[in-house]
Amino acid sequence: MKKLFTIQTYLPILFGIGSAVLLLGAWWGVSILTNNEIPTPLMTWAVFSEMLATPFYDNGPNDKGIGNQLVSSLIRVFSGFGAGSLVAIPVGLLIGSSKTAFRLINPIVQILRPVSPLAWFPLGLLAFKAAEGATIFIIFITSVWPTLINTAFGVASIPQDHKNVAKAYGFSKWKYITKVIIPFALPHIITGLRLSIGVAWMVIVAGEMLSGGVGIGFFVWDSWNALSLEKILSAILIIGTVGLLLDKGFDWLQKRFAFA
Amino acid sequence: MTLNTLTAPIDSASEFHKIQSRPASIEVKDVSVSFKTPKGVFTAIKNIDLTIKKGEIVALIGHSGCGKSTLMGTISGMTAPTSGTVIANGSVVKGPRPDRGIVFQNYSLLPWFSVYKNIYEAVDSVFKNKTAAEKREIVEENLKMVNLWTHKDKLPGQLSGGMKQRVAIARAFSINPTILLLDEPFGALDALIKGSMHIELLKLWNMDNRNKTIVMVTHDIEEAIFLSDRVVVMNNGPEATIKEIVEVPLSRPRNKKAIVHDPV
Ligand SMILES: Nc1ncnc2c1ncn2[C@@H]1O[C@H](COP(=O)(O)OP(=O)(O)O)[C@@H](O)[C@H]1O
Ligand SMILES: [Mg+2]
Repeated sequence: MKKLFTIQTYLPILFGIGSAVLLLGAWWGVSILTNNEIPTPLMTWAVFSEMLATPFYDNGPNDKGIGNQLVSSLIRVFSGFGAGSLVAIPVGLLIGSSKTAFRLINPIVQILRPVSPLAWFPLGLLAFKAAEGATIFIIFITSVWPTLINTAFGVASIPQDHKNVAKAYGFSKWKYITKVIIPFALPHIITGLRLSIGVAWMVIVAGEMLSGGVGIGFFVWDSWNALSLEKILSAILIIGTVGLLLDKGFDWLQKRFAFA
Repeated sequence: MTLNTLTAPIDSASEFHKIQSRPASIEVKDVSVSFKTPKGVFTAIKNIDLTIKKGEIVALIGHSGCGKSTLMGTISGMTAPTSGTVIANGSVVKGPRPDRGIVFQNYSLLPWFSVYKNIYEAVDSVFKNKTAAEKREIVEENLKMVNLWTHKDKLPGQLSGGMKQRVAIARAFSINPTILLLDEPFGALDALIKGSMHIELLKLWNMDNRNKTIVMVTHDIEEAIFLSDRVVVMNNGPEATIKEIVEVPLSRPRNKKAIVHDPV
């Protein structure tokens, strides 16, 4: 008879526990070494669970629950990321299918892509006359590149076979784009989106530290000013978890739209 | 549709000459094709001359790599000749057109579309003026012809090689071309299905009063003899030419067993 539960079934759980023990152990070690200047996991947990107990409280502009902070950040991230994708996908489709467009646009991409998000912030302020706009702008400008590059790569790698079908049956330009190019490039586009949302989530914290207001980045900064390391560590855990969930979401999309 | 049309009596001796007195369907005139490769220019086929009459079935035979697909490409318009011209249905071939249906050697199905959608998109692209219902009818008819109606919702990745080939055949047939260009169309089929596909192909050809011109690449000599009026044998490449053209003096309808037991 086949055993229903083997060691294989428990392995992921065991490894999960292993990782947690490793992280908490290292954290605790650092806490001890710094004489609790870095709070221990236990001290952090006390604050963390308190934060989670009332995530959506609102005591005025400078004192809001962690849930409110997260929601504000996510709205900004998705605004910038959404706008970035709306630019990145069409431009990616264009430079992936036209050599001329590629040679024209690629150098620009290569130069602008490595620029730190913080360097764009003043430009955003100038353009939007507001910190809110500037924050969304830096999310936009930094999250545009991975999607753009992956889309272009996807389109450029369409096999001759698929092009042959379109040619042989006289597909219109529109049919070619919607029925051949986009379906083929879709997995690449989603990979790009996945990388872009990752970048956007990294950038939001830095952006909000500069801009202030409500948001997880501002929350970290505010906690530092209030010298609450427990809150900072809690925020780090939350930022990491949300980042992971965003990534998982796009991972799911990727699997959902894989055709092969 | 039954096999009755197949067994309609036709005077075989005069049949071949009747074909030869028909107008030309395809004229390949002094066609050469060279490819630029990293190692220099590679001439695949050279100075090919071939005239195929309307309603004729021609088999193209030759060792693999000799240039059969390349020659087919110049007729379909997928490959431009380096020199020479191809005339199909009276006009110079400048690119693919729906008067020529192509079955590619590697099926070339779109992997993100179902079997049904693969054919529908081709039909939709070619018959712009037909209604959606008419287009759906065409798809259904052709899928039933290749016995794939029950598999219509599957993705190409879920099909066997032979099934993919039948989808490709149904797709080429569905746009009702006057010239059918089949590049090893039955290569991946098992003997049983292959046999019935031969019958289906002839059925279609008969249904259209034998007006469709068919050029097919094959490695199967028996298949070539069973189906074709002439067998074009190519030399080995590079610079492949036509080695010889063999006429098949068999009456139609032909009997497969007779061919096997009484080879020409
Ligand atoms: N696009 C191409 N570029 C370079 N060489 C090619 C190309 N297409 C075909 N060839 C070469 O031309 C020759 C004939 O190819 P092909 O027509 O596919 O042969 P067959 O169909 O008879 O097997 C082969 O040597 C092949 O490598
Ligand atoms: Mg070939």
